[in-house]
Amino acid sequence: MSMAKPNLEAREKILAKLRGKELANCFQCIKCTSGCTALKLLELKPHEIIKLVNLGFVDELPSSDIIWTCVTCLKCVQRCPQKASPYHVIMALRNIAVEKEAKVPEGYFKAVSQILETGLAEAAQKCVTRKMEAVDRQNLKLPKVRPPKESFQVVFMKAMEEK
Amino acid sequence: MTRIGVYVCHCGLNIAGVVDVEKVAEYAKGLPDVVVARHYTYMCSEPGQRMIQDDIKAENLDRIVIATCSPRMHEETFRRAVAEAGLNPYLTEIVNLREHVSWAHTHEPEKATEKAKALVRMGVARVRLLEPLEKRKVSVEKSVLVVGGGIAGIQASLDLANAGFKVYLVEKAPSIGGRMSQLDKTFPTLDCSACILTPKMVDVAKHRNITLLTNAEVANVKGFVGNYEVSILKKPRYVDAKRCVGCELCTRVCPVKVPDKFNENLSEKRAIAIYSAHAVPKIAIINPDYCLRVKFNEGVCGKCQDACEAEAINFEDKPETVQIKVGGIVLAVGSEVFNAAQMAELGYGRFKNVISSIEFERISDASGPTGGKILTPKDNKVPKMIVFIQCVGSRDKRFHEYCCRVGCMVTLKQAILAREKIHENVRVYVCYIDLRAFGKGYEEFYRRARDMDIDFIAGIPSEVHCAADGSLYFDVYDNGTNKLLEVHADLVVLGTGAVPNSDLGNISALFHASRSADGFLLEAHPKLRPLESAMGGVFLAGACQGPKDIPDTVAQASGAAAKAIDLLSSGEIELEPLKAVVDKDLCSGCRICESLCPFIAIEMKPEIVAGNEKFRAEVIEAMCQGCGLCSAACPTGAIKIQQYSNRQVLTQVQAALAEAEAKGGN
Repeated sequence: MSMAKPNLEAREKILAKLRGKELANCFQCIKCTSGCTALKLLELKPHEIIKLVNLGFVDELPSSDIIWTCVTCLKCVQRCPQKASPYHVIMALRNIAVEKEAKVPEGYFKAVSQILETGLAEAAQKCVTRKMEAVDRQNLKLPKVRPPKESFQVVFMKAMEEK
Repeated sequence: MTRIGVYVCHCGLNIAGVVDVEKVAEYAKGLPDVVVARHYTYMCSEPGQRMIQDDIKAENLDRIVIATCSPRMHEETFRRAVAEAGLNPYLTEIVNLREHVSWAHTHEPEKATEKAKALVRMGVARVRLLEPLEKRKVSVEKSVLVVGGGIAGIQASLDLANAGFKVYLVEKAPSIGGRMSQLDKTFPTLDCSACILTPKMVDVAKHRNITLLTNAEVANVKGFVGNYEVSILKKPRYVDAKRCVGCELCTRVCPVKVPDKFNENLSEKRAIAIYSAHAVPKIAIINPDYCLRVKFNEGVCGKCQDACEAEAINFEDKPETVQIKVGGIVLAVGSEVFNAAQMAELGYGRFKNVISSIEFERISDASGPTGGKILTPKDNKVPKMIVFIQCVGSRDKRFHEYCCRVGCMVTLKQAILAREKIHENVRVYVCYIDLRAFGKGYEEFYRRARDMDIDFIAGIPSEVHCAADGSLYFDVYDNGTNKLLEVHADLVVLGTGAVPNSDLGNISALFHASRSADGFLLEAHPKLRPLESAMGGVFLAGACQGPKDIPDTVAQASGAAAKAIDLLSSGEIELEPLKAVVDKDLCSGCRICESLCPFIAIEMKPEIVAGNEKFRAEVIEAMCQGCGLCSAACPTGAIKIQQYSNRQVLTQVQAALAEAEAKGGN
């Protein structure tokens, strides 16, 4: 095992994105990890992410794929007794990863272009009836989903850039 | 000719580390009428005090300015020192260079030194106008009111009564004993709680110096330190205390079932019953919310009346008010248990086999609903797996930020009790964050628990689930093994902390005892005056001041009793002379001061002026605390506070505004 070295500069960068979230207050009660919906998919546990940031062992975090596994159920936010939830750290790490142009899972870009085109986070899909017939909006004689106005895209892009 | 001495304290490096004390002393020498100006490491020390005393004699000083820490810290010390040297102690002015300068401006030493000079200049300007004052002496009642009959109130009452003071012990519940009487065993020795408490309860009832008022509450408090007038409301008991012999014949015939509060509502009792197995006084009481006769009047039920051979039942009982005069008050009103239903994720209130630690005490206690057998409340089975979850409602910013200070030890005790009572047929898990075993013998007690095959999990579950068959299960991640454990439990015990009483707000208003940010009653000083409230003659004991275990509670209660004895034993006390005085010629009788005074120290006295009756304000000296509200509000300037007259304050303001080079003066 190699000796870990804290990177205090990178740590400051993460903390700057977390204003008001009292990370240092975490006393490792591990409630977040005990209740984490995505725990079985995670290499690093939520309580470990907080401690790593607090101690400055942050170098691998933004490029790691763990930060993309969080399903944002917000249970840890609700139940953290010290209001130091790992969710906000994971969000900050995601933003840093995008800024660094690190590898971002494809699904996220798909979701963004989806929203830009349709205004919906989830596209209208085909579904299967009890008689095993595949139907879509057209079969069901539902009106077409109208694309969003152009002004929406402008505002959306602007918000993205600001972040 | 005024002769002023100025003394600048270094306070070690607390002041001198920031303020250039030498410069300040040098500057003070140039101020008008200043004869001596010195600086010294610790002015409050014996050589520091002697320095002032020697100068008063040698230089014939008649006014003293001491630039040091907050007057709340050492004003009294310096006044005493000055008085010993023969000068009136009220001719001393404290300038606060620590809290107001060095601690506030740590990173700006130059500006801090300038500010220190300005404050000294103001102090010198003001000290010249101070007048000599004499302390007031008032006689005191040699009796004490103790509010709350838990172990704190019991201990304080016994100590006071043994010292020869008359004690009135007021308890809200029908019996004394409080929280401790609900406990099974006590840590760290596993003494049976009833065995060590009940004799004390009986001593209270038998003591000739103690008047015990149960089922009663304080309704009103008037007066001031040494002379409080208190009215106590005795709620109706519907049973004649003098006649009832505690035979419980009435309970046997009563048809109405009532949840048993003493058993944390885990069992039922009757609408007429004795409060608990060890109740003192052991007298029946009717619960008026449930009793058919009291609720619905004439002709209904009345079975207890027929059964009672002592003819003690009185359905016509009315509330009664008792007036008493006491010199001091000990507040020992205790605390409540955190209601875990607020933390919905842990299932308390939804799942019957999730219980609080106080409910576990009742289940484990021989006089409890299961006769001391540990059984699950839902199905009355012996649990095979018990899990304790720590810090429920405590150390949690969503509820209470403080540590409950007893939860860890309570859980260790209960885990040991479970292991002893159910032997090897039970697995016991304790899910904790930090295990705090800080008291005498506590760490050894923790080791005893570890020796007994109790499993400690370093992690708290996020939620507790209930399966279709009613069994409890949850995940918890253990930090020691880095494993996610799937736990199935028959009984989950939540380590619920202590919270301030829901009516502590009323109590705080009634006795003028303020509260700290955590909601508990606030001590006068966190380190040096932990047994008193800021209100003169009102002392604090036990968990109403902050969560406490039994040893700490008893220690504080004895301490509070000793404080009350200290205050009242001589039969008279000295009061600060700083009080309001009225210039009768200026008073217009507008009554604003009367309406504002929080100590009811202003009386409007009629007077005949040119044939017309006119009211003028008069200050009841013994009650005035010198807070200054009246003086600030008086539209004609008729009321002033001694040592804080307009002239004395405005002179200081002028000195503040004068340029530093103007060398004080005007």
